[in-house]
Amino acid sequence: MLPGAGRPGGSPPPFDPLDSPVRSVTVKPVSLNGARVRLDLTILIPHLGFLAEGALLTAEVCALALVGSVLLGMLVAIARTSSNKWIGRLAFAYVDLFRNVPFIVQLFFFYYGLPEIGIYIDAFTTGVVALSISGGAYASDAIRAGILAIDNGILEAAEVSGLSKRVTFTRIVLPIALRTSVRPLGSVLINMILTSSILSTITLNELTGQAKIVASDTFRPFEVYVVLLVVYAALTYLVSIGISLLHRRLNRDLVEQVS
Amino acid sequence: MRYAEFTPFDLVLLAQGLGVTVGLFLATTLIGLFLGALWGVIRFYRTPVLTQFITFVAEILKNSPVLVQLFLVFFGFPAFFKLNMTPVNAAVITLSLNTAAFVYVIAVSSIESIGRDQVEAARVFGLTRWQVLRHVIAPQALAFSIGPLTALLVNQLQVTSLISVIGVMDLAKIGANLNLRTLQPFIVWTVVGVLYYLAAKLVATLGARLEKRLRAHSAFRGL
Repeated sequence: MLPGAGRPGGSPPPFDPLDSPVRSVTVKPVSLNGARVRLDLTILIPHLGFLAEGALLTAEVCALALVGSVLLGMLVAIARTSSNKWIGRLAFAYVDLFRNVPFIVQLFFFYYGLPEIGIYIDAFTTGVVALSISGGAYASDAIRAGILAIDNGILEAAEVSGLSKRVTFTRIVLPIALRTSVRPLGSVLINMILTSSILSTITLNELTGQAKIVASDTFRPFEVYVVLLVVYAALTYLVSIGISLLHRRLNRDLVEQVS
Repeated sequence: MRYAEFTPFDLVLLAQGLGVTVGLFLATTLIGLFLGALWGVIRFYRTPVLTQFITFVAEILKNSPVLVQLFLVFFGFPAFFKLNMTPVNAAVITLSLNTAAFVYVIAVSSIESIGRDQVEAARVFGLTRWQVLRHVIAPQALAFSIGPLTALLVNQLQVTSLISVIGVMDLAKIGANLNLRTLQPFIVWTVVGVLYYLAAKLVATLGARLEKRLRAHSAFRGL
Protein backbone atom coordinates (compact mmCIF):
# COMPACT_ATOMS: atom_id res chain seq x y z
CA MET A 1 0.00 0.00 0.00
CA LEU A 2 1.32 3.41 -0.93
CA PRO A 3 1.60 6.12 1.70
CA GLY A 4 -1.29 8.53 1.56
CA ALA A 5 -3.43 6.09 -0.43
CA GLY A 6 -5.92 5.66 2.38
CA ARG A 7 -9.63 5.94 1.82
CA PRO A 8 -10.64 9.62 1.58
CA GLY A 9 -12.64 10.72 4.57
CA GLY A 10 -12.44 7.31 6.22
CA SER A 11 -10.24 6.30 9.10
CA PRO A 12 -6.57 5.76 8.21
CA PRO A 13 -5.68 2.17 7.43
CA PRO A 14 -4.23 0.17 10.28
CA PHE A 15 -0.46 0.36 10.48
CA ASP A 16 1.16 -2.62 8.86
CA PRO A 17 4.89 -2.83 9.56
CA LEU A 18 5.52 -5.17 6.64
CA ASP A 19 3.79 -2.81 4.25
CA SER A 20 5.06 0.56 5.40
CA PRO A 21 7.76 2.31 3.41
CA VAL A 22 11.03 2.55 5.24
CA ARG A 23 11.65 6.13 6.27
CA SER A 24 14.61 5.87 8.57
CA VAL A 25 16.72 3.01 9.72
CA THR A 26 17.89 3.17 13.28
CA VAL A 27 20.63 0.84 14.35
CA LYS A 28 19.30 -1.13 17.28
CA PRO A 29 22.15 -1.67 19.71
CA VAL A 30 22.71 -5.28 20.58
CA SER A 31 22.04 -6.05 24.18
CA LEU A 32 21.93 -9.52 25.61
CA ASN A 33 18.95 -10.30 27.87
CA GLY A 34 18.23 -6.60 27.97
CA ALA A 35 21.20 -6.10 30.26
CA ARG A 36 23.70 -3.30 29.78
CA VAL A 37 26.46 -4.62 27.57
CA ARG A 38 29.78 -4.46 29.33
CA LEU A 39 33.23 -4.97 27.93
CA ASP A 40 33.60 -8.71 28.14
CA LEU A 41 36.64 -10.04 26.36
CA THR A 42 36.08 -13.65 27.43
CA ILE A 43 33.59 -14.11 24.60
CA LEU A 44 36.54 -14.05 22.22
CA ILE A 45 38.27 -17.06 23.76
CA PRO A 46 36.51 -19.69 21.59
CA HIS A 47 37.47 -17.72 18.50
CA LEU A 48 41.16 -17.31 19.25
CA GLY A 49 42.22 -20.21 17.04
CA PHE A 50 40.17 -18.80 14.18
CA LEU A 51 41.80 -15.39 14.61
CA ALA A 52 45.25 -16.98 14.83
CA GLU A 53 44.67 -18.57 11.41
CA GLY A 54 44.05 -15.08 10.07
CA ALA A 55 47.16 -13.74 11.76
CA LEU A 56 49.17 -16.54 10.17
CA LEU A 57 47.81 -15.63 6.76
CA THR A 58 48.68 -11.97 7.38
CA ALA A 59 52.22 -13.02 8.31
CA GLU A 60 52.53 -15.16 5.17
CA VAL A 61 51.27 -12.42 2.89
CA CYS A 62 53.55 -9.83 4.48
CA ALA A 63 56.63 -12.08 4.39
CA LEU A 64 56.14 -12.86 0.69
CA ALA A 65 55.32 -9.25 -0.13
CA LEU A 66 58.38 -8.07 1.80
CA VAL A 67 60.64 -10.30 -0.29
CA GLY A 68 58.88 -9.16 -3.46
CA SER A 69 59.06 -5.49 -2.62
CA VAL A 70 62.72 -5.57 -1.56
CA LEU A 71 63.66 -7.33 -4.81
CA LEU A 72 61.58 -4.89 -6.84
CA GLY A 73 62.87 -1.99 -4.76
CA MET A 74 66.48 -2.99 -5.45
CA LEU A 75 65.86 -3.13 -9.20
CA VAL A 76 64.08 0.23 -9.17
CA ALA A 77 66.74 1.78 -6.95
CA ILE A 78 69.42 0.64 -9.40
CA ALA A 79 67.37 2.09 -12.24
CA ARG A 80 66.87 5.38 -10.42
CA THR A 81 70.55 5.79 -9.64
CA SER A 82 71.63 4.71 -13.13
CA SER A 83 73.44 7.20 -15.31
CA ASN A 84 70.95 6.59 -18.12
CA LYS A 85 68.44 9.44 -17.97
CA TRP A 86 65.48 7.56 -19.45
CA ILE A 87 65.77 4.53 -17.21
CA GLY A 88 65.91 6.89 -14.25
CA ARG A 89 62.80 8.74 -15.39
CA LEU A 90 60.88 5.53 -15.97
CA ALA A 91 61.74 4.30 -12.48
CA PHE A 92 60.74 7.65 -11.02
CA ALA A 93 57.40 7.48 -12.85
CA TYR A 94 56.73 4.07 -11.27
CA VAL A 95 57.54 5.27 -7.77
CA ASP A 96 55.56 8.48 -8.21
CA LEU A 97 52.51 6.65 -9.57
CA PHE A 98 52.29 3.93 -6.94
CA ARG A 99 52.91 6.30 -4.07
CA ASN A 100 50.20 8.73 -5.11
CA VAL A 101 47.37 6.34 -5.93
CA PRO A 102 45.48 4.76 -3.00
CA PHE A 103 46.32 1.13 -2.38
CA ILE A 104 42.68 0.08 -2.54
CA VAL A 105 42.44 1.46 -6.09
CA GLN A 106 45.59 -0.40 -7.12
CA LEU A 107 44.25 -3.56 -5.51
CA PHE A 108 40.90 -3.36 -7.31
CA PHE A 109 42.72 -2.58 -10.54
CA PHE A 110 44.63 -5.85 -10.26
CA TYR A 111 41.86 -7.93 -8.72
CA TYR A 112 39.16 -6.99 -11.24
CA GLY A 113 41.43 -6.07 -14.13
CA LEU A 114 43.73 -9.08 -14.45
CA PRO A 115 40.94 -11.60 -15.25
CA GLU A 116 39.89 -9.25 -18.07
CA ILE A 117 43.15 -9.92 -19.86
CA GLY A 118 43.01 -13.64 -19.19
CA ILE A 119 45.16 -13.86 -16.08
CA TYR A 120 43.23 -15.81 -13.47
CA ILE A 121 44.94 -15.73 -10.09
CA ASP A 122 43.43 -16.14 -6.64
CA ALA A 123 42.98 -13.42 -4.04
CA PHE A 124 46.11 -14.51 -2.14
CA THR A 125 48.40 -14.12 -5.15
CA THR A 126 46.73 -10.88 -6.19
CA GLY A 127 47.21 -9.53 -2.68
CA VAL A 128 50.88 -10.47 -2.58
CA VAL A 129 51.49 -9.01 -6.04
CA ALA A 130 49.68 -5.76 -5.27
CA LEU A 131 51.44 -5.37 -1.91
CA SER A 132 54.82 -6.10 -3.50
CA ILE A 133 54.34 -3.57 -6.27
CA SER A 134 53.08 -0.89 -3.93
CA GLY A 135 55.70 -1.71 -1.26
CA GLY A 136 58.41 -1.79 -3.94
CA ALA A 137 57.85 1.90 -4.60
CA TYR A 138 58.52 2.71 -0.94
CA ALA A 139 61.35 0.19 -0.59
CA SER A 140 63.12 1.61 -3.63
CA ASP A 141 63.25 5.02 -1.97
CA ALA A 142 64.81 3.53 1.16
CA ILE A 143 67.40 1.54 -0.80
CA ARG A 144 68.12 4.47 -3.10
CA ALA A 145 68.91 6.64 -0.09
CA GLY A 146 71.25 3.89 1.10
CA ILE A 147 73.00 3.80 -2.27
CA LEU A 148 73.36 7.59 -2.44
CA ALA A 149 74.85 7.63 1.07
CA ILE A 150 77.78 5.48 -0.02
CA ASP A 151 81.07 7.33 0.07
CA ASN A 152 82.54 7.97 -3.38
CA GLY A 153 85.90 6.80 -2.07
CA ILE A 154 84.56 3.25 -1.79
CA LEU A 155 83.45 3.28 -5.43
CA GLU A 156 86.81 4.70 -6.51
CA ALA A 157 88.65 2.04 -4.52
CA ALA A 158 86.59 -0.65 -6.25
CA GLU A 159 87.32 0.89 -9.63
CA VAL A 160 91.03 1.09 -8.92
CA SER A 161 91.01 -2.54 -7.80
CA GLY A 162 89.78 -3.43 -11.28
CA LEU A 163 86.30 -4.66 -10.31
CA SER A 164 83.73 -4.60 -13.08
CA LYS A 165 80.67 -2.39 -12.75
CA ARG A 166 78.41 -5.39 -12.07
CA VAL A 167 80.64 -6.84 -9.37
CA THR A 168 81.04 -3.42 -7.75
CA PHE A 169 77.30 -3.14 -7.61
CA THR A 170 76.36 -6.61 -6.37
CA ARG A 171 79.30 -7.12 -4.01
CA ILE A 172 79.94 -3.65 -2.67
CA VAL A 173 77.17 -1.15 -3.26
CA LEU A 174 74.14 -3.34 -2.53
CA PRO A 175 75.37 -4.93 0.72
CA ILE A 176 76.27 -1.55 2.16
CA ALA A 177 73.07 0.08 0.93
CA LEU A 178 70.87 -2.75 2.23
CA ARG A 179 72.34 -2.79 5.69
CA THR A 180 72.19 0.96 6.15
CA SER A 181 68.58 0.98 4.96
CA VAL A 182 67.39 -1.73 7.36
CA ARG A 183 65.52 0.81 9.47
CA PRO A 184 63.60 2.53 6.64
CA LEU A 185 62.90 -0.89 5.12
CA GLY A 186 61.52 -1.87 8.50
CA SER A 187 59.04 0.98 8.42
CA VAL A 188 58.07 -0.18 4.94
CA LEU A 189 57.35 -3.59 6.48
CA ILE A 190 55.30 -2.08 9.30
CA ASN A 191 53.31 -0.08 6.78
CA MET A 192 52.81 -3.26 4.82
CA ILE A 193 51.40 -5.09 7.84
CA LEU A 194 48.91 -2.27 8.33
CA THR A 195 48.09 -2.08 4.63
CA SER A 196 47.53 -5.83 4.41
CA SER A 197 44.28 -5.31 6.33
CA ILE A 198 42.87 -3.84 3.11
CA LEU A 199 43.22 -7.27 1.50
CA SER A 200 40.10 -8.27 3.44
CA THR A 201 38.13 -6.30 0.84
CA ILE A 202 39.07 -8.79 -1.88
CA THR A 203 37.79 -11.78 0.09
CA LEU A 204 41.19 -12.73 1.44
CA ASN A 205 40.46 -13.70 5.04
CA GLU A 206 43.56 -12.53 6.84
CA LEU A 207 43.47 -11.14 10.38
CA THR A 208 40.98 -8.36 9.63
CA GLY A 209 38.84 -10.59 7.42
CA GLN A 210 38.62 -13.28 10.11
CA ALA A 211 37.84 -10.63 12.72
CA LYS A 212 34.95 -9.40 10.56
CA ILE A 213 33.54 -12.93 10.55
CA VAL A 214 33.95 -13.25 14.32
CA ALA A 215 32.30 -9.86 14.83
CA SER A 216 29.25 -10.91 12.85
CA ASP A 217 29.12 -14.30 14.57
CA THR A 218 29.27 -13.00 18.12
CA PHE A 219 27.42 -9.68 17.61
CA ARG A 220 30.22 -8.10 19.64
CA PRO A 221 31.98 -5.84 17.11
CA PHE A 222 33.32 -3.49 19.79
CA GLU A 223 35.22 -6.16 21.69
CA VAL A 224 36.49 -7.79 18.51
CA TYR A 225 37.79 -4.60 16.93
CA VAL A 226 39.28 -3.22 20.15
CA VAL A 227 41.25 -6.43 20.55
CA LEU A 228 42.22 -6.31 16.87
CA LEU A 229 43.46 -2.73 17.24
CA VAL A 230 45.64 -3.70 20.20
CA VAL A 231 46.88 -6.85 18.44
CA TYR A 232 47.97 -4.86 15.38
CA ALA A 233 49.65 -2.22 17.54
CA ALA A 234 51.48 -4.90 19.55
CA LEU A 235 52.49 -6.72 16.38
CA THR A 236 53.97 -3.64 14.74
CA TYR A 237 55.66 -2.71 18.02
CA LEU A 238 57.34 -6.13 18.21
CA VAL A 239 58.38 -5.86 14.56
CA SER A 240 59.93 -2.45 15.19
CA ILE A 241 61.90 -3.82 18.15
CA GLY A 242 63.10 -6.70 15.97
CA ILE A 243 64.19 -4.26 13.28
CA SER A 244 66.14 -2.17 15.77
CA LEU A 245 67.99 -5.27 16.94
CA LEU A 246 68.70 -6.37 13.38
CA HIS A 247 69.91 -2.90 12.48
CA ARG A 248 72.26 -2.84 15.45
CA ARG A 249 73.55 -6.34 14.67
CA LEU A 250 74.18 -5.65 10.97
CA ASN A 251 75.89 -2.34 11.65
CA ARG A 252 77.82 -3.43 14.74
CA ASP A 253 81.15 -2.47 13.17
CA LEU A 254 79.91 1.09 12.60
CA VAL A 255 78.60 1.59 16.12
CA GLU A 256 80.22 4.95 16.72
CA GLN A 257 78.87 6.30 13.42
CA VAL A 258 75.37 4.84 13.54
CA SER A 259 74.78 4.44 17.25
CA MET B 1 17.53 -3.67 -19.67
CA ARG B 2 21.14 -3.32 -18.60
CA TYR B 3 22.94 -0.06 -18.76
CA ALA B 4 26.34 -1.56 -19.35
CA GLU B 5 27.83 1.27 -21.40
CA PHE B 6 29.44 4.40 -20.07
CA THR B 7 27.08 7.37 -20.11
CA PRO B 8 27.79 11.10 -19.79
CA PHE B 9 26.16 10.92 -16.36
CA ASP B 10 29.09 8.80 -15.16
CA LEU B 11 31.22 11.93 -15.34
CA VAL B 12 28.78 13.65 -12.97
CA LEU B 13 29.02 10.65 -10.65
CA LEU B 14 32.81 10.78 -10.71
CA ALA B 15 32.74 14.51 -10.01
CA GLN B 16 30.38 13.90 -7.08
CA GLY B 17 32.67 11.18 -5.74
CA LEU B 18 35.67 13.46 -6.07
CA GLY B 19 33.72 16.17 -4.29
CA VAL B 20 32.88 13.86 -1.38
CA THR B 21 36.51 12.71 -1.15
CA VAL B 22 37.93 16.23 -1.25
CA GLY B 23 35.28 17.59 1.13
CA LEU B 24 35.88 14.87 3.71
CA PHE B 25 39.62 15.24 3.26
CA LEU B 26 39.49 18.98 3.90
CA ALA B 27 37.15 18.64 6.89
CA THR B 28 39.15 15.86 8.56
CA THR B 29 42.41 17.66 7.81
CA LEU B 30 41.21 20.83 9.54
CA ILE B 31 39.89 18.93 12.57
CA GLY B 32 43.01 16.76 12.65
CA LEU B 33 45.37 19.74 12.44
CA PHE B 34 43.51 21.50 15.24
CA LEU B 35 43.40 18.44 17.50
CA GLY B 36 46.99 17.43 16.80
CA ALA B 37 48.26 20.96 17.47
CA LEU B 38 46.18 21.09 20.67
CA TRP B 39 47.68 17.80 21.84
CA GLY B 40 51.12 19.20 21.02
CA VAL B 41 50.44 22.27 23.16
CA ILE B 42 49.21 20.06 26.02
CA ARG B 43 52.49 18.20 25.82
CA PHE B 44 54.41 21.48 25.66
CA TYR B 45 52.82 22.50 28.98
CA ARG B 46 53.76 19.07 30.40
CA THR B 47 50.25 18.44 31.72
CA PRO B 48 50.74 15.31 33.87
CA VAL B 49 48.49 12.24 33.10
CA LEU B 50 46.95 13.87 30.02
CA THR B 51 50.25 13.91 28.13
CA GLN B 52 50.87 10.22 28.73
CA PHE B 53 47.30 9.40 27.77
CA ILE B 54 47.56 11.36 24.51
CA THR B 55 50.90 9.77 23.64
CA PHE B 56 49.41 6.31 24.22
CA VAL B 57 46.32 7.02 22.10
CA ALA B 58 48.45 8.51 19.33
CA GLU B 59 50.71 5.44 19.32
CA ILE B 60 47.72 3.09 19.04
CA LEU B 61 46.19 5.18 16.25
CA LYS B 62 49.47 5.34 14.36
CA ASN B 63 50.24 1.65 14.66
CA SER B 64 46.94 0.10 13.70
CA PRO B 65 45.22 -0.15 10.32
CA VAL B 66 42.78 2.65 9.50
CA LEU B 67 40.37 0.02 8.24
CA VAL B 68 40.15 -1.57 11.69
CA GLN B 69 39.69 1.86 13.28
CA LEU B 70 36.85 2.52 10.85
CA PHE B 71 35.22 -0.81 11.69
CA LEU B 72 35.57 -0.09 15.40
CA VAL B 73 33.89 3.29 15.08
CA PHE B 74 31.26 2.25 12.56
CA PHE B 75 30.31 -1.21 13.86
CA GLY B 76 31.71 -1.28 17.37
CA PHE B 77 30.66 2.08 18.82
CA PRO B 78 26.95 1.84 17.91
CA ALA B 79 26.75 -1.64 19.43
CA PHE B 80 28.58 -0.75 22.61
CA PHE B 81 27.57 2.82 23.38
CA LYS B 82 24.08 2.41 21.88
CA LEU B 83 24.22 5.36 19.53
CA ASN B 84 23.40 5.91 15.90
CA MET B 85 26.31 6.24 13.51
CA THR B 86 26.12 7.18 9.87
CA PRO B 87 28.97 6.18 7.57
CA VAL B 88 29.94 9.83 7.09
CA ASN B 89 30.07 10.43 10.86
CA ALA B 90 32.21 7.35 11.36
CA ALA B 91 34.51 8.46 8.54
CA VAL B 92 34.91 11.98 9.93
CA ILE B 93 35.61 10.74 13.48
CA THR B 94 38.12 8.09 12.41
CA LEU B 95 40.02 10.11 9.83
CA SER B 96 40.19 13.20 12.06
CA LEU B 97 41.62 11.25 14.98
CA ASN B 98 44.02 9.38 12.72
CA THR B 99 45.27 12.62 11.16
CA ALA B 100 45.51 14.17 14.62
CA ALA B 101 47.75 11.34 15.84
CA PHE B 102 50.25 11.93 13.04
CA VAL B 103 50.01 15.72 13.34
CA TYR B 104 50.73 15.35 17.05
CA VAL B 105 54.00 13.54 16.32
CA ILE B 106 55.02 16.18 13.79
CA ALA B 107 54.08 18.97 16.22
CA VAL B 108 56.13 17.41 19.02
CA SER B 109 59.21 16.93 16.86
CA SER B 110 58.99 20.41 15.34
CA ILE B 111 58.61 22.00 18.79
CA GLU B 112 61.62 20.01 19.95
CA SER B 113 63.62 21.07 16.89
CA ILE B 114 63.84 24.60 18.31
CA GLY B 115 66.90 25.05 20.45
CA ARG B 116 66.41 25.21 24.20
CA ASP B 117 68.62 28.29 24.37
CA GLN B 118 66.01 30.29 22.47
CA VAL B 119 63.30 29.27 24.93
CA GLU B 120 65.56 30.04 27.87
CA ALA B 121 66.53 33.43 26.44
CA ALA B 122 62.86 34.30 25.91
CA ARG B 123 62.00 33.20 29.45
CA VAL B 124 64.82 35.35 30.83
CA PHE B 125 63.34 38.33 29.01
CA GLY B 126 60.19 37.72 31.00
CA LEU B 127 57.95 36.20 28.35
CA THR B 128 55.30 33.86 29.71
CA ARG B 129 55.18 30.26 28.55
CA TRP B 130 52.30 31.10 26.22
CA GLN B 131 54.17 34.08 24.72
CA VAL B 132 57.20 31.88 24.16
CA LEU B 133 55.01 29.37 22.36
CA ARG B 134 53.16 31.99 20.35
CA HIS B 135 56.01 34.30 19.31
CA VAL B 136 59.18 32.22 19.47
CA ILE B 137 58.32 28.60 18.88
CA ALA B 138 55.20 28.61 16.71
CA PRO B 139 56.55 30.56 13.71
CA GLN B 140 59.71 28.45 13.47
CA ALA B 141 57.98 25.16 14.24
CA LEU B 142 55.39 25.90 11.56
CA ALA B 143 58.04 26.44 8.90
CA PHE B 144 59.80 23.28 10.04
CA SER B 145 56.67 21.15 10.00
CA ILE B 146 55.22 22.10 6.60
CA GLY B 147 57.37 19.52 4.78
CA PRO B 148 56.36 16.51 6.91
CA LEU B 149 52.79 17.81 7.05
CA THR B 150 52.56 17.88 3.27
CA ALA B 151 53.82 14.30 3.06
CA LEU B 152 51.28 13.33 5.72
CA LEU B 153 48.39 15.01 3.94
CA VAL B 154 49.24 13.37 0.62
CA ASN B 155 49.10 10.08 2.50
CA GLN B 156 45.88 10.94 4.31
CA LEU B 157 44.22 11.83 1.01
CA GLN B 158 44.83 8.25 -0.08
CA VAL B 159 43.64 6.92 3.24
CA THR B 160 40.26 8.55 2.63
CA SER B 161 39.66 5.92 -0.05
CA LEU B 162 39.16 3.35 2.74
CA ILE B 163 35.89 4.93 3.83
CA SER B 164 34.32 3.44 0.70
CA VAL B 165 34.43 0.11 2.55
CA ILE B 166 31.87 1.32 5.11
CA GLY B 167 29.68 2.74 2.37
CA VAL B 168 30.55 6.43 2.02
CA MET B 169 29.96 7.44 -1.61
CA ASP B 170 33.46 8.73 -2.22
CA LEU B 171 35.54 8.42 -5.37
CA ALA B 172 36.61 4.82 -4.67
CA LYS B 173 33.00 3.76 -4.03
CA ILE B 174 31.81 5.41 -7.25
CA GLY B 175 34.62 3.55 -9.00
CA ALA B 176 33.45 0.27 -7.47
CA ASN B 177 29.87 0.94 -8.58
CA LEU B 178 30.90 1.88 -12.12
CA ASN B 179 33.08 -1.20 -12.22
CA LEU B 180 30.18 -3.43 -11.22
CA ARG B 181 27.89 -1.86 -13.78
CA THR B 182 30.13 -1.61 -16.81
CA LEU B 183 32.49 -4.52 -16.06
CA GLN B 184 35.37 -2.49 -17.51
CA PRO B 185 37.80 -2.48 -14.56
CA PHE B 186 40.79 -1.20 -16.51
CA ILE B 187 39.12 1.98 -17.70
CA VAL B 188 37.24 2.65 -14.46
CA TRP B 189 40.14 2.13 -12.07
CA THR B 190 42.56 3.98 -14.34
CA VAL B 191 40.29 7.03 -14.37
CA VAL B 192 39.77 6.83 -10.60
CA GLY B 193 43.51 6.38 -10.08
CA VAL B 194 44.33 9.37 -12.27
CA LEU B 195 41.86 11.54 -10.32
CA TYR B 196 43.46 10.52 -7.01
CA TYR B 197 46.91 11.08 -8.48
CA LEU B 198 46.05 14.60 -9.64
CA ALA B 199 44.51 15.45 -6.28
CA ALA B 200 47.63 14.17 -4.47
CA LYS B 201 49.88 16.20 -6.79
CA LEU B 202 47.79 19.29 -6.11
CA VAL B 203 48.22 18.85 -2.36
CA ALA B 204 51.96 18.30 -2.76
CA THR B 205 52.36 21.38 -4.96
CA LEU B 206 50.40 23.63 -2.60
CA GLY B 207 52.44 22.31 0.34
CA ALA B 208 55.74 22.98 -1.45
CA ARG B 209 54.64 26.50 -2.32
CA LEU B 210 53.59 27.24 1.25
CA GLU B 211 56.85 25.85 2.59
CA LYS B 212 58.85 28.05 0.24
CA ARG B 213 56.97 31.09 1.47
CA LEU B 214 57.34 30.27 5.14
CA ARG B 215 61.02 29.56 4.73
CA ALA B 216 61.65 32.68 2.64
CA HIS B 217 63.18 34.50 5.62
CA SER B 218 65.93 31.90 5.99
CA ALA B 219 66.45 31.07 2.29
CA PHE B 220 69.84 31.69 0.71
CA ARG B 221 69.65 35.12 -0.92
CA GLY B 222 72.56 34.79 -3.27
CA LEU B 223 75.73 36.79 -3.29
